[in-house]
Amino acid sequence: MIDVNLAEFLHSGLGIHLGTADENKEPSGCRVTAVKVEGDGRHMVAFIPRAASQRVFDNLRSNGRTAVSFARPADDRAVQVKGLMLFSWQAKPDEEAFAQSQWAGFLGQLDGIGLPGAATSSWRVFPSMAVRIKVTAVFNQTPGPDAGAPLK
Amino acid sequence: MSLGLEKLASCFQGIIPAMLYTCAKDGTPNAAYLSHVDYVDPTHVALSFQFFNKSRRNIAENPRAVVHLGDPDTAQGWALRLTYERSETSGPIFDRMFWRIEAIASYTGLKGIFKLLAADIYKVESVEPVPEEDGQPDRSAPPLRARPPDPVFTMKALQDLSMQINTADSLEHLLDSIVVGLKRHFNFSHSMIALAGEKPDTLVMIASRGYEQSGAGAEVQFGEGIIGLVAEAKKPIRISGLMRGMLNAYAAKRRAEEKGWCSAERRVPLPGLENPSSQLGVPLMVRGELIGVLCIESETPYRFHEEDKTSIELLGSYLAVAIQNMQLQQDEDQPEPPSQAGPLTSATTGLRATRRELAFYRQEEVVMLDGEYLIRSLPARILWKLLQVREQEGRAEFTNRELRLDKSLNLPDFKDNLETRLLLLRRRLDEKAGDIRLVPRGRGRFALEVTGDLELVERD
Repeated sequence: MIDVNLAEFLHSGLGIHLGTADENKEPSGCRVTAVKVEGDGRHMVAFIPRAASQRVFDNLRSNGRTAVSFARPADDRAVQVKGLMLFSWQAKPDEEAFAQSQWAGFLGQLDGIGLPGAATSSWRVFPSMAVRIKVTAVFNQTPGPDAGAPLK
Repeated sequence: MSLGLEKLASCFQGIIPAMLYTCAKDGTPNAAYLSHVDYVDPTHVALSFQFFNKSRRNIAENPRAVVHLGDPDTAQGWALRLTYERSETSGPIFDRMFWRIEAIASYTGLKGIFKLLAADIYKVESVEPVPEEDGQPDRSAPPLRARPPDPVFTMKALQDLSMQINTADSLEHLLDSIVVGLKRHFNFSHSMIALAGEKPDTLVMIASRGYEQSGAGAEVQFGEGIIGLVAEAKKPIRISGLMRGMLNAYAAKRRAEEKGWCSAERRVPLPGLENPSSQLGVPLMVRGELIGVLCIESETPYRFHEEDKTSIELLGSYLAVAIQNMQLQQDEDQPEPPSQAGPLTSATTGLRATRRELAFYRQEEVVMLDGEYLIRSLPARILWKLLQVREQEGRAEFTNRELRLDKSLNLPDFKDNLETRLLLLRRRLDEKAGDIRLVPRGRGRFALEVTGDLELVERD
């Protein structure tokens, strides 16, 4: 579902957001600092700030459906991965270090387009919760005429 | 109870991209970037609708949404809980978003593809801080954007600029004093003025400051870039997060090219900064007539605030009247003809004394200098006339009046803007042919100074 090339893109330090919804179809979302695509390409772990809105965690528990949006600041190439949350845990130190490294890559990309990533130093994006997600679909989300088409 | 939406003005500039969360009727969420979110009133915002995408389909099924905005001053994130109310395809809200997107589309060669289909109006149910995007930057952190001096448009600065403008004794001095004054009194380093061109729906760059090339003589079609769009809309246009918008548009362009929806032609060359982050274009209008456009640019995102736009719009009205008055005044000047033929000026200034070829292409009305484009249309006809008189009569001094009376130049009977065309010609010569110059000799009079030999050639 997520091949090696796409996984490499998703790991490259992107702007990542997680969308969720409650049982009344009320959406909520939060930032994601990093993802780790598993070798089978059908599962991934998303690292989300423990400080994120309680609604997001409640939605993950009650509805479980997720939409993870990835976008590269330099050219707006974007992908959306739909999935189902399987379980979550507090990130371990090595996982936290992994997430921080990927997040640093994203801040570097922000610097590259003139938005100083360092200005986001007050954000409470760590420590993280790790959320394991089963991937159900992948869509192109780059702005343009075929945004929303399934990615083959 | 107030939602406090008014205090989030900085968030609506598009510097930090907005994220829109929606949900389909089966409960599947969606998260997608959104190019434009605009403030409508204390309880409503407008979201740009440009493509029929998943977010739009979800909203048709389920009107509830959340949009996350970022404050470029403090880095604080804000979550706006929304309910869709209606879509607008005309009116002031639509126009404001439409022209901003048109400007971006124009730069990227995407007019007609990257466009606003509707401004979707949402009721804002609540405004909450995004907890993980806490906006209390530590003192060592740089701000996301440089805060402009506050306020930019003081009464003192306006008064100083006004005094400077009032002392101008010619159109050239007036235009120069405007762009110099914008730097001196308002610290706007990059500005340009384009005036109505000879051809319909065109403007011609006439004055600029802060650029490597003056750009004098560059034609801008209505609808091209911010200057052409301001002329077309006859409304001020302010763009703050231009770079973000351009990146978004370029991404769309690549997809459109892959689909064969548009050609991979080069984008329209932008007169001015290579990478402007903020632009403010103001129409120069007198009694409903567009006489030109003033454009101010900055490499700083969000350089122009809403209050800047309002103030400079007022300034634009004042400048428009000043420019038109000067044009009319100089058009009415009737100097005595030269008492005697002015001396033929040649090889007196120490500049290079080489032989140069000037070719006039009659059908296209273009003058080429040593094979390179120099100028076209009325300024080209004027230059050719001056060069012929110089060669045939040995005269180098001229008056505006004799040009007006010369039927071969085909000047319009009313509002010929001769002074503007002469100024344009003078600037093009200064930039492209330093050894051929038009030198003012008092009001309504000037000399053609040439260093070296000229070969005049006429071609069809």
